[in-house]
Amino acid sequence: MPFSTILGAWIAVFLTLGIFSYLYRDNPFYKIAEHIFVGVSAAYWAATFYWTQIYPNLFGRLFAVDSPFASMYVLDKGHEYNGLYFFPLLLGIMMLLSIFKQINWMARWGIAYTVGIAAGLKTFGYLSSNVISQIKSTAVDLFSGSLPFFAMPGDSIFNNIVIFIGTISALMYFYFSREQSGLYGRFTRLGIYFLMISFGASFGFAVMGRISLLIGRFNDLILFSNPSYNYGTFWMLGLIIVVLGYWSFQNPEIKEG
Amino acid sequence: MRFLEDIIVKFGSVDRRVIFVLIGLAVLVPLLNPIDLAIRPTPSSQRVYDAVDSIPDNSKVLISFDYGPSTKPEIHPMTLGVMRHILSQDRGHKIYITCLWPDGLYMAKDALKIINEEYDLVEYEDYVLLGFRPGNEAVVKGLASDLRKVFTVDAAQKSINEIPMMEGVNNLNDFQFIFTGSAGYPGTFEWVQYGADPTGVPLSSGTTSIQVNEVMPYVQSGQLQGILAGMPGAAEYEKLIDTPGIAIQGMAAQSYGHVVIVLFIILGNLAYFITERRERKY
Repeated sequence: MPFSTILGAWIAVFLTLGIFSYLYRDNPFYKIAEHIFVGVSAAYWAATFYWTQIYPNLFGRLFAVDSPFASMYVLDKGHEYNGLYFFPLLLGIMMLLSIFKQINWMARWGIAYTVGIAAGLKTFGYLSSNVISQIKSTAVDLFSGSLPFFAMPGDSIFNNIVIFIGTISALMYFYFSREQSGLYGRFTRLGIYFLMISFGASFGFAVMGRISLLIGRFNDLILFSNPSYNYGTFWMLGLIIVVLGYWSFQNPEIKEG
Repeated sequence: MRFLEDIIVKFGSVDRRVIFVLIGLAVLVPLLNPIDLAIRPTPSSQRVYDAVDSIPDNSKVLISFDYGPSTKPEIHPMTLGVMRHILSQDRGHKIYITCLWPDGLYMAKDALKIINEEYDLVEYEDYVLLGFRPGNEAVVKGLASDLRKVFTVDAAQKSINEIPMMEGVNNLNDFQFIFTGSAGYPGTFEWVQYGADPTGVPLSSGTTSIQVNEVMPYVQSGQLQGILAGMPGAAEYEKLIDTPGIAIQGMAAQSYGHVVIVLFIILGNLAYFITERRERKY
C-alpha cells in the first residue's frame, strides 16, 4: 500500500475522530478538524470554480484565437472571441472591491445582476414545476370508479381522498384573513395534524439520513483499522483518548447552575 | 408502579453522552458482526427499477453525480446500482456523466473505477465523463437548450466535437433517460424544474433521506419516475438488481440504531409526562 494512501487514511481517521470528540465536549481536536474542513472546502471550491469556469469560459472567450488581444496572450478552449464577456469580468471585479470600504458600493451592481438572473430563472421553473404541475396532480380521481377503494401500494380512492382533504385543509390553515373558529377552525386543525405528520416524517427521514452517514464513517474506520493501514484507527483513537483525557483533567468542565 | 416511574424518569434525564455511546454501539456492532435482514422494495424504488428497465434499446442515458463525499454512503450505492442495472441489460446503452457539484467529479471517477472492474468499459465508446460545470440551475437550463455551449470539452479536456459518442447529442432531448444522485442544491429539484419538465425526458432520482419528504410530491405527480430514498432505497435497488453491496450491509445497523433512538424517544416522553404530572400534583 503506498505511503500516501496510508497517510491519507490516518488523516481521515484523525479528522473523523476529532469531529466525534465534540460529543464529549468542545475541545482542540474538534476545533482543528472543523477549521481544516472549512479551509479546505473554501480553497477547493475556489480552485475548482476558477479552473472549470473562469479560466476556460471567461478568459477562453476574451483571449480566444480570434480576439484582438491574441498578440498578447492566446487561450484556445474552442470558443470564439466575444467582447460582451468583459461585462461579467467587470462585475466580478466590482464584487471583489467590496473589501475596500470607500468603494464597496460597487459590489451592489454585481449582486443586483446575480439576484436578478436567479429570480428570473427561479420564477419560471418554480411556477411551472412546483405550482402548476402540483395543482394538476392534486386533481385526483375520486368518482370514476376505475380505482379500487383501498389498496396498500398504488393508487386507490382512499389514498386520493386523503391527499385531497390533506391538501385543502393544510392550505386553508395558512389563510389568516379569517378567524379560525367553529367548523372552519376544526377543519384547519385537521390541516395542522396533516402538517405535523409530515414534519414527523421529515424528522424520521432526517434521523435515517444521519444514521446512514454514521454507518459510512464507521465503515471507513473499520477499514482503516486493518493491518494494511497500520492499524490507523486504533493508534489515532488511543492518541485522542490519552490527550483528551489529560486535557480534560487540566481543564475541568464547568457545570452551569 | 412508583419504582417503575422513578426508573423511567432516571432514563429521561440520563447524560446525553450515554445515549451517544449506546447509539454508536447499536450501529457499530451489526457492522462488525453482519446480520441479514429481509429487505422488501418499496413502490417508489420499484418505479425507478421499472423506469430503467423500460429504457428503449441503444439509448443515451444521462447520469448526474450531484453529491460529494459527505453523502457518499447514501447515494454512491444508488448510482453504482443504476449503472450496474443499465450495463447488465447489455442493450447497447451509452452513459453520459455530468456533475453539478465539484466533488461529484471525483464521485463519478470513483464509480467508474468500480464499474470498470466489473464491466470493462471503454471510454468514449461506452461512456463519456463530461465533468463539472458551476452555475447550478443555469447548467441544467443550458443542457436543456444547448449542451455544446455548456460543455465544449469533457473532464479530460478533450473537445466534445472529437468524441464520436457525442455525435447527434445537442441537448437534453437527445437523451432517453436521466438519473440524478442528488444530495441537495443543485440536484433533483433543478433537474425536475429545468430538465425533465420542459423536455419531457423521463427522470428518476436518488436522494439523501432528508430530502425525500420534499421530493415525494414530484413522484406522486409523475414528474419523477420513482425515487431511491437514502440508504434503504439504495439497499432496495441492490436487492432488485440482485447485487448485494454496501447499502444492504448497512441495513442491520440502520435498523438497530433506529430501535435505540425510538426507545429513548418513548422513554424521554414518558419521563416528561411523569415529571409534569408529579409537579402538578405537588
